[in-house]
Amino acid sequence: MSSIQIENLSVKFRLYHDNSPSLKDYFASIFKSLRKQSQGSYSDFWAVNDASFEVKAGDRLGIIGHNGAGKSTLLKALCRIYEPSSGQVSVEGRIAPLLEIGAGFHPEFTGRENIYLNGAILGYSKQEIRGIEFEVIAFAELEEFIDTPVKYYSTGMYMRLAFSLATAMHPDILILDEIFAGGDASFMKKAKARMHDLIDKSNIMIMVSHDSELIRSLCNRIIWMDHGKVVADGPVNEIMDRYLAERENG
Amino acid sequence: MKSNTFSFLKELYDGRNILSQLVSQQLILRYRRTTLGYLWSLISPLMMMSVMAVVFATLFQKDLKTFAVFLFAGMIPWNFFSSVLTQSGISFINNEGLIKKIYLPKAIFPLSIACALLIDSALAFLALFAIILVLGGSLSWAILFIPVAYVMLFFFSLGLGLIMSITTVFFRDLQYVIAIVMQALFFLTPILYKPSALTGKVAWLIDLNPVVPFIELFRAPLFLGTLPSSNSMMLAALYSVFSMAVGLFVFLRNEKKIVFRL
Repeated sequence: MSSIQIENLSVKFRLYHDNSPSLKDYFASIFKSLRKQSQGSYSDFWAVNDASFEVKAGDRLGIIGHNGAGKSTLLKALCRIYEPSSGQVSVEGRIAPLLEIGAGFHPEFTGRENIYLNGAILGYSKQEIRGIEFEVIAFAELEEFIDTPVKYYSTGMYMRLAFSLATAMHPDILILDEIFAGGDASFMKKAKARMHDLIDKSNIMIMVSHDSELIRSLCNRIIWMDHGKVVADGPVNEIMDRYLAERENG
Repeated sequence: MKSNTFSFLKELYDGRNILSQLVSQQLILRYRRTTLGYLWSLISPLMMMSVMAVVFATLFQKDLKTFAVFLFAGMIPWNFFSSVLTQSGISFINNEGLIKKIYLPKAIFPLSIACALLIDSALAFLALFAIILVLGGSLSWAILFIPVAYVMLFFFSLGLGLIMSITTVFFRDLQYVIAIVMQALFFLTPILYKPSALTGKVAWLIDLNPVVPFIELFRAPLFLGTLPSSNSMMLAALYSVFSMAVGLFVFLRNEKKIVFRL
């Protein structure tokens, strides 16, 4: 059984007003701080601020909120990309971050080489990759071009390969930042079916989306975030109605 | 700290598949679509060293063959050391896209660089060794010491490489500073000359230079056909343990901060 527990999670970003400090500035600031407390040329920004919640097996959690509410940062903290500034994240189960597919693709590598490279980055073992290789190629409909460097791929071909690879394994915990699927209409249809299958088989699904209908159809729980804080947490329709009503009223 | 180091090693072990992918990416990718391919990895250092051998043998009025062997034996460890430090420095900056999108054990990046360079260096060594034999270098049982020398050199360079990889993220200027430092250090390290040749006011620099014993580790078996002095071996072992200890300490304390600073 998978589960996620988040306790008082905060993620702080330091916004630098100039570029990253040079060696000179660093030494200068040491001397300055010896004389008096220096005013740093940065300000802190809490992208996620004291969020606590629990996700249990079977939960289909949608996260909503305005741009910059901290939704994506929260997902990245769940995937361990961002270390919590304070608080704790504990995750049980194999987690699959489908945040930005194709992130690890190397343009000079062929499609097949990228399956192995990106598969390794996604945490698959070599045997696992060998097992899914043909299925991935077939699903992406790239049999002819799989040994061509991906820099010659069209955007659609690139997306198809990335999507097929990222969704080839069934993770316990599925993390989605918007549902992505590129390609032509027939591939979109196939991809959507595969996505739904993946969601059905996952133990926990967490997604961020601005598409309220999509969230209503896929999720059974919503967390509403605003300025890094969890504003509301509850059943889909109730929270979504409140959220949409507030947005209407500005 | 102990459990920290343990989980760090476990993560690295779990990530060995990514490591091997990154290493082969480094080795293969550079020479995509070139006719000679990987051979460039051997040709360019060999050419560079040959030119240096000719110029400096003439300049110092030394016998070319003897000087070439002397120089090659010193250049092999130096090239490895200096490439690891220079390339580790930008290892996170070059992989920013990946680091911000997916969780990976961060040490994989500098480690993959050190591993790829080790393979490069070992192959260059074999090629140079063949040349040394042709030039009439001495072949002795001492050559069996070379793998041990590589192990020490590897950890010494990796430790400093870990420090470089972290600090360059915080101070981007370092990637340019390191190039200058390496240039200076090259001339302050007895590679073109014997350690005893640098006398006078700067002689103490040789005693302080931690790279010196590593040059000796390679030069003694290849040039003199003897085992390195026990003094050099001990110093090299000490430096490599110290470098790894400090490297891991700095790395483990800061690895989680770098994603916020890329």
